[in-house]
Amino acid sequence: MTDRELERCLSEAVNRTAPDDLEAILSRCGAQNGSVMEMKERKANQNIIDAAVKEGTSKKKLRPWLAAACAALVLLGVGGGGLMYHQSYAVASVVSLDVNPSIELTVNRGGRVISCNALNEEAAAVLFSMSGGKDLKGTKLDVAVNAIVGALVQAGYMDSISSAILISVEDNDQERAARLQQELVASVDGVLRTQAPGTSVLSQVLTQDANTPALENMTFNSGISAGKAALVRKVMEMNGTIATDSTTAFDKLAALSVEELNDLLEMGETRIPIGKSAAALAAEEYAGTLELNSVTTDVDPELDEFPPHYEVEVKTTWGEFEYMVDAFTGQVLSGQRDLQNTTGPGTQSTPATIITETQAFDAAAEHCGAQYPGLQGYNAMNVVTKLDWDDGRQVYDVDFVISGYQFEYEIDAYTGAVLKWDTDYRSTPTPAAPDSPPSGTGSDTQDVGQDAAKQAALNHAGLTESQVTNWKIEREWDDGRLEYDVEFWCGTTEYDYTIDGHSCSILKHEWDHHSSGHHGGSGTGTSSQDIGADAAKAAALAHAGVSESQTTKMEVERDWDDGRLEYEVEFDVGRTEYEYTIDGVTGSILEYEQDVD
Amino acid sequence: MLAASGVQTTEDKENARSRELEQLLLQAGKGSRDAFGQLYTRTRGAVYALTLSLLHNAQEAQDTAQDTFVKVWESAPGYRPQGSPMAWLLTIARNLARSRLRQSGRLVGLDEEDWNAIPAADPDVTPEDRQVLQEALARLGEEERQIILLHAVSGLKHREIADLLELPVSTVLSKYHRGLKKLKSLMKGEDHT
Repeated sequence: MTDRELERCLSEAVNRTAPDDLEAILSRCGAQNGSVMEMKERKANQNIIDAAVKEGTSKKKLRPWLAAACAALVLLGVGGGGLMYHQSYAVASVVSLDVNPSIELTVNRGGRVISCNALNEEAAAVLFSMSGGKDLKGTKLDVAVNAIVGALVQAGYMDSISSAILISVEDNDQERAARLQQELVASVDGVLRTQAPGTSVLSQVLTQDANTPALENMTFNSGISAGKAALVRKVMEMNGTIATDSTTAFDKLAALSVEELNDLLEMGETRIPIGKSAAALAAEEYAGTLELNSVTTDVDPELDEFPPHYEVEVKTTWGEFEYMVDAFTGQVLSGQRDLQNTTGPGTQSTPATIITETQAFDAAAEHCGAQYPGLQGYNAMNVVTKLDWDDGRQVYDVDFVISGYQFEYEIDAYTGAVLKWDTDYRSTPTPAAPDSPPSGTGSDTQDVGQDAAKQAALNHAGLTESQVTNWKIEREWDDGRLEYDVEFWCGTTEYDYTIDGHSCSILKHEWDHHSSGHHGGSGTGTSSQDIGADAAKAAALAHAGVSESQTTKMEVERDWDDGRLEYEVEFDVGRTEYEYTIDGVTGSILEYEQDVD
Repeated sequence: MLAASGVQTTEDKENARSRELEQLLLQAGKGSRDAFGQLYTRTRGAVYALTLSLLHNAQEAQDTAQDTFVKVWESAPGYRPQGSPMAWLLTIARNLARSRLRQSGRLVGLDEEDWNAIPAADPDVTPEDRQVLQEALARLGEEERQIILLHAVSGLKHREIADLLELPVSTVLSKYHRGLKKLKSLMKGEDHT
């Protein structure tokens, strides 16, 4: 390729990529007003002008003209000047953004921001760096909205994967409102996909409703936007409090975040939860840390889980502790009581200094060598050591790879003791295998068995075996404790339980509702369109050109990715590993990898 | 001799193009939206290439390109022919892009991964376009990228590019040749895989 050909190729690529915005530009171009853009004083060989400098001077020239136009407007009331003024300053749309901070923007017909106001204290804090919203005046709406969303992300309001932002557009021109809504959702979704993946964008167009004046009055008192008020109204219609026109119910719901309100609607929950602040208070009271100023909390509402609860992380100077607080009663369901006396500084007879990263790795390597003599002589690769907190204890997470096998250790940062370990290495270790009880533990305790573990999970989920599909049960030892990892699906909900293998108690559970709607999915993905694990497996085998009898280590996992049902199919044929991602509805191959071990 | 006459022809073409742009700009200054539309069609690629290469972000580049043409429309009545309407137009784009960088507190564009922000949805953008742009945008040095894009898309002469980017002509020439060489070898490397 010659230089000229390459340049032509580049030029054509740019011309095809450059957006064609002529209509949008022309809509912003008024009649020529005769303003003069003067040439910069020419230097030798210089044919350029400096627009930034001109911008400054032309503004000065413009001001008296603008003042005259405004004066004329006051005197005449209407007329040519009035029309221009109307186009620039008349409010065409009101856009509100609600997470917990509520922010309202008024926008002119040209799509420029006329005003930006914080409706509550949290919003004022978010807008602080933008001079309380004044900096956004005159900017294009999408630019302003993206700046606000960026600030919300930075302030931590979109940290949780289930966080939600509500965009509401109010406009008498419903067509324009719908267009704005669509543009803003696409733009915010784009920002959040990169900055806060997993979060949701909700949107609505508000109509002028004769029945809403009472609500507007309430809005005024509660410091929330009309958009959030409309969402509260939907919840009140759902839970019946709208009938009694209950101001108390409105106030309680108005104090909740958009994520909480949306969860209530999705779950059809008629009770009103206690809210994040009350949940944090309950957890801190239980933890006995209320009088400590240094303690902070992070609260994540899990109203779509069973039981509906708030996850509260209590952060103390000596560690982070997790609490589960019932969303309606405020009762603490799990977590450590009275932290200062049980875990606080000075309560543990630990050495004063922590060990080094090298010592932590040595402790892990020594343990690994003793457990797996067959691996001795191999070097550990990809060693990653990280100091962390786990239930109030400072620990090192030590990860490394030996002979292609991953090892993960948790080492006490003071004593060097091995607290937890896990590996995908499956050769028989000595003296204690990870798939048999460690000596001294469990020999006198009975294994409850796979069926009992499965039943315990079903009981907890309130389901029967016939209602669920895609079972996956694994028996494993974790830190000397026998556990069953039980996974299954009911419709589009995925359940994941860890059951104690001796007592059958539930050690951990997760409940994940997969919805296909958040990112503009086609609305497909219901279980009736699911091709099933067997068809997915068959598609992968056909692509690889092998039969199932030729394969080993076959694993099929049903998953949701970005609103799409998928199957992950993995198997080995001899020393070749195959990994497929199959579309769960069409059976088409979305991704595949082939690797010779 | 052949090479010399070739250069002459290219220069003639460039001069004719400049005169046409100048006419369009003058007509736009008198309020002709048609002329402005034609001016836009002929120059939008160059403006977008410059804003994209300065801002490294497709959305911001698009916004700044829009602002540039609004400003061109507003300023067209005062435009006086001075030989290179393209350089005049690109200076407006450059200043608006720099002003945007200043406002957002950035001195330079975004990180390299943001270069992936080439619009994906446009059916006119072919995989080949994407490859050549991706290579040019992500792999070349900051100044190499600006110089090559400006030369390829806007047809500005090296001297004009030097003026626009406020660089010595010798730097523009050496970076242009080095960058082009690098881009060619990158493209070849891709072809071999």
